Amino acid sequence: MDVEKLRAILAALQGTDVTRLDWTNGQERITLRMGHPPAPVTALHAVPAGAPGSSAALPTPPQVTPVVAAASPAARDNTFTVNSPFVGTFYRAASPDNPSFVEVGQVVKKGQVLCIVEAMKLMNEIEAEQPGRLLEALIQNGSPVEYGEPLFRFEPV
Amino acid sequence: MFHKILIANRAEIALRIIRAARELGIETVAVHSTADANSLHVKFADESLCIGPPPSKESYLNIPAILSAAEVSGADAIHPGYGFLSENAEFAEMVQHAGLGWIGPRPEMIRMMGNKVRAKEAMREAGLPQLPGSDGVVRDERELVRLAEKVGFPVILKAASGGGGRGMKIVREKDQLGQMYRTASAEALAAFGNGDMYVERYVERPRHVEIQIVADEHGNVVHFGERECSVQRRHQKMLEESPSPALNEKLRERMGRVAVEAMKKIRYNNLGTIEFLLDERGEFFFMEMNTRIQVEHPVTESVTGIDLLKEQIRLAAGEELGRTQKSIALRGHAIELRINAEDPVTFAPSPGLITAYHAPGGLGVRVDSIAHEQYRVLPFYDSMVAKMIVTADSRPAAIMRARRALQEYVVEGIKTNIPFHKRLLLFEPFVQGRYDTRTVERLLAEAPPPAGA
Repeated sequence: MDVEKLRAILAALQGTDVTRLDWTNGQERITLRMGHPPAPVTALHAVPAGAPGSSAALPTPPQVTPVVAAASPAARDNTFTVNSPFVGTFYRAASPDNPSFVEVGQVVKKGQVLCIVEAMKLMNEIEAEQPGRLLEALIQNGSPVEYGEPLFRFEPV
Repeated sequence: MFHKILIANRAEIALRIIRAARELGIETVAVHSTADANSLHVKFADESLCIGPPPSKESYLNIPAILSAAEVSGADAIHPGYGFLSENAEFAEMVQHAGLGWIGPRPEMIRMMGNKVRAKEAMREAGLPQLPGSDGVVRDERELVRLAEKVGFPVILKAASGGGGRGMKIVREKDQLGQMYRTASAEALAAFGNGDMYVERYVERPRHVEIQIVADEHGNVVHFGERECSVQRRHQKMLEESPSPALNEKLRERMGRVAVEAMKKIRYNNLGTIEFLLDERGEFFFMEMNTRIQVEHPVTESVTGIDLLKEQIRLAAGEELGRTQKSIALRGHAIELRINAEDPVTFAPSPGLITAYHAPGGLGVRVDSIAHEQYRVLPFYDSMVAKMIVTADSRPAAIMRARRALQEYVVEGIKTNIPFHKRLLLFEPFVQGRYDTRTVERLLAEAPPPAGA
């Protein structure tokens, strides 16, 4: 199919209620999906914990690149996951004596600390990249996590 | 001995390491990128950890992620395989500082051999012969004439700032020397902004012959014979064999002896490979040393009957070599063919989904691979899909077996270099064993492949 034809079809569909078009003509097959893109992917970034007053001898934490946490394929509609930006050990609290950073049912703000992933002896705080209500904590405290492994499931608020 | 080895690599070599570790009763941890999550090396390891996205620098070259994976999995040693971080001295040091076993030579060995100039100096001191030439830049024409006569014609003039075949001139006779030198120097000045030249012996038909070194932590060193790797295209090896058709017992003994002596002098440890350039007269010269397990190690395993990966792990754990040179005997003949996902004519990479796959079998045929039906050859990594190794009593029998095995090899969905190998195995210079590093060039120039091959 040539571009002009495609443009014409797209123009004809503008402003209509059509959300999907399947077009077959001999060997040619086109599927158009109109309207909103799929739920936005969630990015998060990890901020090395300052941990003031404690373990002053810690070396300068490495620069942590934000990781795009794609919505898990198993995600129910409208929910999103926060995924681990690297391989390490997952902690829900700053120390064994502290309460968890977040509890199920809680609404978190953008930038709020959700957990710690320890890698190379550095405690990296993982922050929420967008607000949401925590539906599920997917990993047990103290467990190893992989790169990209879903840690929490949220629903938007 | 180690209890759990983390494998900082992927694909066939990761699987190869898993096999060796399992036979030694050692657990394995595979690390992988998101793209390799379903790879066989991940499935066959005892544990696995995803360490990053597909690009190598964010996964298989990501040192913090790999060390972190070692920590969370409780591994007590790291095997780097080949490529990736295997010859990264800083990584080796970090592994050791983290209190983990490093399955390879000491970082200082890796660092020394990683610097070509330092490696040549060290090996000259350790007694390995070097290609005769000027040790540095040629000062003037008079010095050049003196050096060229000492080196012996033909000589090659190389631009100090050149590389990749540029800025080179071959001089066959003394009376051409002055003129060629002035031209080459002027060209180099124009091309690289530096007219400095050096000179060395030019070898018309060089062969690449390498010696496998096996050393323990206690000063014991033996060699496991040689591998002939002259079948190359643009410095990429395509086929390797052992023993080399260019070596007789005397030359093998001499190459092996000087190699072992040099390794004892520098107190080399673990596995390594010394690459030599062998000329038409049977003179050999040190080129470089690889401080890791090599892709082509299976041909040595086939003719010695010794598992080199198990040997490497055992020695890294501090065990004694427990072998004498006399106990190492080469039996039969082995040939390895690298099966790559590439166009057999243009050699362009051909990644994609393998829709049908059948690996050859039968007596004396070994295939090291993670390929299978529905396996996707990924564009992010090396194009090598498999290594096919055949072993037989003699070289002619091994060639016949390789041809037979290739007839059974089915890979559909992607292009492979199997048609190239079929041509090569029928190419007279190869069959006669009289070939060198430029033979592939001549084969490709000679005849177009038959249609449909």
